[in-house]
Amino acid sequence: MSNDILFLAEFAAGRPARSALELATGAAELASESGGSAVALAYGSGAADGAAGLGAHGAARAIVVGDEDRPAITYAPAVVAAARDAGLAILAPATPNGRDLAAALVGSLDLPAFGPVRAARLSDGALETEQATLQGSVVTTSRPADGAPAPAVVLVLANTFTPSEGGSGSAEVTEAPAAEASALTKATVVESHEAEAKVVNLEEATIIVAGGRGVGGEEGFGPLRELAEVLGGAVGASRAAADAGWIPYQLQIGQTGKVVKPSLYIGAGISGAIQHRVGMQTAEHVVAINRDPDAPIGEFADLFVVGDLFQIIPALTEELRRRKGG
Amino acid sequence: MKIVVCIKQVPATGADKRYTDDLRLDRAAAETIINPLDEYAIEQALRLADDGVADSVTYLSMGPEQASEALRRALGMGGDDAVLITDPALAGADEWATARVLATALDRLAPDVALMGMASDDARGSLVPGAVAAMRDVPLLSYGAELKVADGEARVRRLSATGYDWIGAPLPVVATVTDQVGEPRYASLKGIMGAKRKPLETWSLADAGVSSDALRGAALTRVTDARPPEDKPPTERIENLPPTEAAARIADWLAQRKLV
Amino acid sequence: MTYLTTADHDELRAMVRELADERIAPRAAAIDEQSEFPWDLKELLAESDLLGTCFEERHGGTALDTIAQSILVEEIARADATTSLIPIVQKLGALPILLAGSDEQQDRYLPRLASGEWLAAFALTEAAAGSDVASNRMRAARDGDDYVLNGSKRFITHGGVANLLTVFALTDPEAGGRKGMSAFIVETETPGFAAPRVEHKMGIRGSPTAELTFDDVRVPAANRLGDDGEGFRIAMETLDRSRLSIAAQAVGIAQGATDAAVAYAADRTQFGERVVDFQGIQWMLADMASQTEAARQLTYAAAARVDAQARDLPYWTSSAKLVAGDTAMKVTTDAVQVLGGYGYITEYPVERMMRDAKITQLYEGTQQIQRLIVARQLLQRAGVARRG
Repeated sequence: MSNDILFLAEFAAGRPARSALELATGAAELASESGGSAVALAYGSGAADGAAGLGAHGAARAIVVGDEDRPAITYAPAVVAAARDAGLAILAPATPNGRDLAAALVGSLDLPAFGPVRAARLSDGALETEQATLQGSVVTTSRPADGAPAPAVVLVLANTFTPSEGGSGSAEVTEAPAAEASALTKATVVESHEAEAKVVNLEEATIIVAGGRGVGGEEGFGPLRELAEVLGGAVGASRAAADAGWIPYQLQIGQTGKVVKPSLYIGAGISGAIQHRVGMQTAEHVVAINRDPDAPIGEFADLFVVGDLFQIIPALTEELRRRKGG
Repeated sequence: MKIVVCIKQVPATGADKRYTDDLRLDRAAAETIINPLDEYAIEQALRLADDGVADSVTYLSMGPEQASEALRRALGMGGDDAVLITDPALAGADEWATARVLATALDRLAPDVALMGMASDDARGSLVPGAVAAMRDVPLLSYGAELKVADGEARVRRLSATGYDWIGAPLPVVATVTDQVGEPRYASLKGIMGAKRKPLETWSLADAGVSSDALRGAALTRVTDARPPEDKPPTERIENLPPTEAAARIADWLAQRKLV
Repeated sequence: MTYLTTADHDELRAMVRELADERIAPRAAAIDEQSEFPWDLKELLAESDLLGTCFEERHGGTALDTIAQSILVEEIARADATTSLIPIVQKLGALPILLAGSDEQQDRYLPRLASGEWLAAFALTEAAAGSDVASNRMRAARDGDDYVLNGSKRFITHGGVANLLTVFALTDPEAGGRKGMSAFIVETETPGFAAPRVEHKMGIRGSPTAELTFDDVRVPAANRLGDDGEGFRIAMETLDRSRLSIAAQAVGIAQGATDAAVAYAADRTQFGERVVDFQGIQWMLADMASQTEAARQLTYAAAARVDAQARDLPYWTSSAKLVAGDTAMKVTTDAVQVLGGYGYITEYPVERMMRDAKITQLYEGTQQIQRLIVARQLLQRAGVARRG
């Protein structure tokens, strides 16, 4: 059994997802501890062309598992074949696609599963992970049980690893070993609907301005968008705003939406109910703006501003523009 | 068309939750509920039954004996019968072990659709459904905002980066749904009273067809420490300031932390 | 005799509390402010099978015991007294049919009440006949196979929203109220019936309290309950049982007020301490809690005796309503006191609870009437001869 650290690298139209770059960096860090190499399992449209580029972020090798645009779960048998006995751990992004593939690995190869983790390291030569459970009220440390098979499957939240500056390396690209037949390949897209506007992938955003019930309507998001633009960030929302139809569901942050880990999260008109909180509580800096001085979000925000968001947000946008302008 | 909904009993949000001395979730300590995300799976299954698409809805759960309460509550919402798999050997089971047991039980129950919620509230696990699908060699249709079944095929509507797709596969499948399914129904009083008379079977591991060797001690992972999270510094508050002054203070705060 | 609350009672309480916390409590302030009848909550209660608990299964009900019915009312009243009147008045309006209706009358009307498709109301009180029921003046004149009703009723809860009324009128005016009154089922679609006015009230503002007018309202003789002249007895037997619902309502209001006061005091700091840590406040809260519990247990004891068909049933139900109503008034007043100035403003629910509590000392027999009933039973037990 090798000391390699594998990771899933998702591609779309030849470009790697941000998670691929983050996991490349994380895998390279772990591989330097373990004495092995970081190995990408690349899938998705254009993966064959783009896989070598992962070398710039620390991948020594890249196995191209598949090159088409099809549901990620259908790549599971190929991922399984490539991962079998292939390393100490395999990192997967804690996104729906990443979870689907991670789950298939666990089920096909009887592997131990960890996460979503907030930290992963080697300790006494074995994998050790940290994760927050019970709505963040407990932090647990875990390891594989004695005699557990490898590789361990590790789900990783966005922004747990910061992509390294692109280096000059190029990953050695290889084809995947033959996959066994599997019913998992039978999922197909029967209908596809594009929304009118393209939405940013919130999980990759480092700055998020989020609006909730207090924003009051679709137009209310206007000031939030302007603030996000000045900050160079993305707009998100609570479930209440998504249910009310004020923004698309792709922008919903929370237990059943996107789980985000930006360096800055600004929540406006969001009360901070637990279902939203679990989607953003690992953000590095949390600023909340709310008219209600007793809103639950005030208890875990780093900075809590009591006031009318429709006055404070434009004022803040104006102030930041002024400072930028010089 | 037969549906089996897998549900889990979890501690209630905000209830007193803790890990025991041997680092397992203390399931006896807390007030318990049906995992809230499973309620959407229950609701989706019951809608298909209301529409006449599903002929039967069975609930399946793995847990301590107390988990029969969650199954009775589910039966109060609707459905026909339930199975609880409970066995001392399952104490401390992790996601892999849970998947192994459910997969074996599902092969016995042989549903057209094995339906689950997208994650569980306590340990935030989300891998059980996919692992079950892989173990049973059955297609996985996950993160559905809606589930439809017709002509021997199941489909889920799943959000994509740019809109949504309908993804389909031939039956039998494993499917998971999200809260976009819509508000789960309340149990009516007649439903609750009737639930007591609906069949609820209890299976041991042997009844489920799982040998204890196959379980390798119920977990491939080991928790080595459990502690409260690090204390955060107290929240700074800005109140009772005119908006322009509040904005300046916020901008200073952001600048100090090099966020702008 | 003793009584026990069971796991089934606990399960029912948990079920109703969930509905009350999630769907009823959030609506309470708006219902009070707009004085609006909560049709949406009536639908919710009907769909949840909570309007049929006093009806037999053969009529589509769930035939819960009286303690369970009290728990149902209590848990709703804890969230909102107005909404708790929906199951209370459904039972009140139906009781004359349950107590004196023929099988045919019950089969004809009770299923629609059990399902909540129809609402019922109880029309006894008149402008000049409140506590003094026997001086009712409304008439029901026999005319062939019908009775023709003429007169008016006042202070009829849900009179304007009900589909069915149980109405009390004099079929033999010469004989007076005690012997000459009869009871009738009247469908409110009947020509000649109107609910022209609704009162503006101190509390339970979402519950419409109506004046009803009957102008040659024709009712088939098949809708008379019992025989001619049995009306007074039917009314009294109804009130002997329905007043227990008011006791439960009062217990619920008191509990809601206590819970609100505890939560507020735990959150509020003055003089550098939490208000809840001041001994004086703790004493008030302790009195509120223990008196509410005493009222609750007396209500359940009375409920057990209703189910046991005890001969001294009125002693028990009157005692419960008396104690619970006075407790609700005291506890809600104290709750406002605990909240201080904040207790007086509509931002907090306790001022509404205090306004709502007052009615439990007034309707379904004033506290003074209850005291007369208890005294009469007491003296009878003690062998004291009635005044000649």
